Amino acid sequence: MSDGKEHGSGSVEPGDTSKRVGAEVIRERGVDPEELREKLIDAIGAEFTTYYYYTNLRMHLAGEEDYKEITEDARLEDRAHFELVVPRIYELEGSLPNDIRDFADRASCPDAEVPTPMDDNGGFDTSDLEVEDILEVLLEAERCAIRTWSEICDMTRGADPRTYDMAQRILNEEMDHEAWFIELLSKERDDEINPAGHFARGEPGDAPYSTNNRFNDSA
Amino acid sequence: MTRSSNETWTVTIVVPEDSSLDEAGETYDLEVGADETILTAARSAGVWLPADCQQGWCTTCAARLVDGDVVHPNARRYYDEDDEAGYILPCTAKPRTDTTVVVDQYDDFLEFRAANDRPPGNSKLDS
Ligand code: FES
Repeated sequence: MSDGKEHGSGSVEPGDTSKRVGAEVIRERGVDPEELREKLIDAIGAEFTTYYYYTNLRMHLAGEEDYKEITEDARLEDRAHFELVVPRIYELEGSLPNDIRDFADRASCPDAEVPTPMDDNGGFDTSDLEVEDILEVLLEAERCAIRTWSEICDMTRGADPRTYDMAQRILNEEMDHEAWFIELLSKERDDEINPAGHFARGEPGDAPYSTNNRFNDSA
Repeated sequence: MTRSSNETWTVTIVVPEDSSLDEAGETYDLEVGADETILTAARSAGVWLPADCQQGWCTTCAARLVDGDVVHPNARRYYDEDDEAGYILPCTAKPRTDTTVVVDQYDDFLEFRAANDRPPGNSKLDS
């Protein structure tokens, strides 16, 4: 009996699988779930492309093993952000683009490319590749992510606790990342000590706030 | 360090009547330095214009230039067609004269980019 039970029924008919209460309650609270999920696709497009681009950036920090390790933490954590949010997109009746080029095109942050052109042999022209230029790309990528997840927090606060919780956990890690790269770039470029308060994550890419269900060691 | 120029310009921000922003129908005159972006100047004046990447990439901030002249020295994706059609990205746009812009043009701009086969037009409109 649902008689007298305030939440026993609502705008979705019993047994109707064409609609989701999980989306309708958000709409009732003033957020357009379709707009939100498209924004989430853009946001994790950026996380996923960053994961890819950081692979290249980290490799080109050749000989700077400490920088490499920290970039690896950020790289794996960005992947954890992608993994964390993908199911939310499907819950909101969205999907990842079928074509990865579309996915990369709509990413809400710029491609974090190695800051040097390719040479004629298909590799990078590393003759004037500077560590500080790589650190600057990393820093600006993190800043873009902070802006993106802050917007999503603003959009969902008080209306969609599930997305808000994901966004704020991701934001925590992006802010860590920004602090790391400020510390490294300050030292490398300006010889300034600007500590992040960071020592080391437990394991590479630990993602203390955002890791999805730890169903295997790589997730 | 490069020294900033002291020059400032008056940027008039027009928020269309049919905008979903709280400021719909309002017009603001801001003094914007030559080294300042229109978005930063607007937000510091309390006009919270839409933006996301703030690197001239995502197009969330798209606006229309109705008068004046701006430059986009740091935009990551800004094409000649955008310039010719009078679209700007206020997150990276810096004034070079007194300028008037109509903000909150994201939807129209996506259509425009799609019609010109430029990202993120089709990738977002097809979804
Ligand atoms: S905020 Fe992304 S292009 Fe302006």
